[in-house]
Amino acid sequence: MESMMAEGRAKKYAFIIGILCSCAVMLGWANTWEDIQRESAKIQSVSAQFSQQKHMQILTKPLVSKGRFYFQAPDSVRWEYSSPIKSVLIMQKGSIKRYTQGSRGLVEDASGSLETMQIVLQEIGRWTRGQFTENEHFSATLKGGKSPRIILTPKEKGLSAMISRIVITLSPDRPGVIKSVKILENEGNYTLFEFTDVQINGKISEKLFREVG
Amino acid sequence: MKVFEPSIRWILVLMVMALFSSCSHLPVINHVDPAAAPDTKERCLRPFLDVPYRFIHSLEVSFPGGRTGTLLGVTVVYPAEKTIHSVIMTIEGFLLFDARYDKEVRVNRAVPPFNAEQFAGHMMEDVRLMFLAPEGKLVDAGVYTDGSSVCRYYGNKDTIVDVSIHKDESWEIKAYSSSHDLLRKIRAFDVQTGIPGMVELSGFGFREYSLRLNLISAEAVSPEANHMRPAKTPEDDE
Repeated sequence: MESMMAEGRAKKYAFIIGILCSCAVMLGWANTWEDIQRESAKIQSVSAQFSQQKHMQILTKPLVSKGRFYFQAPDSVRWEYSSPIKSVLIMQKGSIKRYTQGSRGLVEDASGSLETMQIVLQEIGRWTRGQFTENEHFSATLKGGKSPRIILTPKEKGLSAMISRIVITLSPDRPGVIKSVKILENEGNYTLFEFTDVQINGKISEKLFREVG
Repeated sequence: MKVFEPSIRWILVLMVMALFSSCSHLPVINHVDPAAAPDTKERCLRPFLDVPYRFIHSLEVSFPGGRTGTLLGVTVVYPAEKTIHSVIMTIEGFLLFDARYDKEVRVNRAVPPFNAEQFAGHMMEDVRLMFLAPEGKLVDAGVYTDGSSVCRYYGNKDTIVDVSIHKDESWEIKAYSSSHDLLRKIRAFDVQTGIPGMVELSGFGFREYSLRLNLISAEAVSPEANHMRPAKTPEDDE
């Protein structure tokens, strides 16, 4: 039971990252929440390359993971790592699965809980509509200027034990595109996601949200 | 009809049989030419670090029912000081477990189930078994029947450790209880320049588990890194 809860918690975190990043990329360049909501309404699909840098005290240089993610409105997500371990998270129509390359090939990872899926779906609904300020898990601050940023701070004590804050940096010269997402933990540990090759409203094959390979 | 009535003698015989059957046996070590014994002892130290190292592994954990889950592990081992720093995280970078062993275990972070009682201690024992030469007394050395070189150590905690090196330079480390029950088995494969590309760890007894560690990177680290202070939380241009 405890193991299942931990799996759920880990997957919740994974999906929060995935969904946050996918939705964050959809954000338009803006100085007000109204601008963000207006830009969000225009987004139907997003695909991008990502690089994930894990900075920790135990490492002298960050552990870098790379991959690609896809989002199709209203709620389909594919979050795929190509290195150092091949791993694919797929969410479609309320169903969430994770596959990881192991000794038996690309197999489904230990399953998470329904509760986690419900929370994630709620987050998607809010973020895709640009409703950061009405989020029950995070309080949001928007900072405009040359490099607009959204800072999310956990409201719950349990979540704040895992994440101290999240900083989403928007692209200054390309509305709708973000430069990076930084998730800060504690003791200098943080994860930085940087996005390149961001394509908005391009055609994404529906198979990507159904098939792993 | 004659009814069988167990006598005291029969009960004693059964008890003695039960006693013998409950005792496991350690693998037989055949002794080599005394002149070759130092070489055998030298070979037995090959699995263990003599300089500080940092390893990054993917950890494939097997759950009951055949399900598997994959995590990332970072381990830094300082053999001279026998200190270990170990971190486990998800592929997405979420830190699940962070602990340090320096004479005693200090847990910096442990998310359930990694906060289970004795998890950190048992994990550090596994890491020590894998990377640090046994602390106990070397009591025997020779070869197994398959020709592998083997050394047997009697540990400080009533454990017996067999370190065997195969002809292809892969190795096995087995830890037994004082009653010779197998407690842990570590098998290292694909050994290149002394570092295994893959390690299988199996736990037996009350809590059975298995773990496969695939090497992502290995690098020697400075001994001074062991005394570095934790980094401060970075500025994020807020």
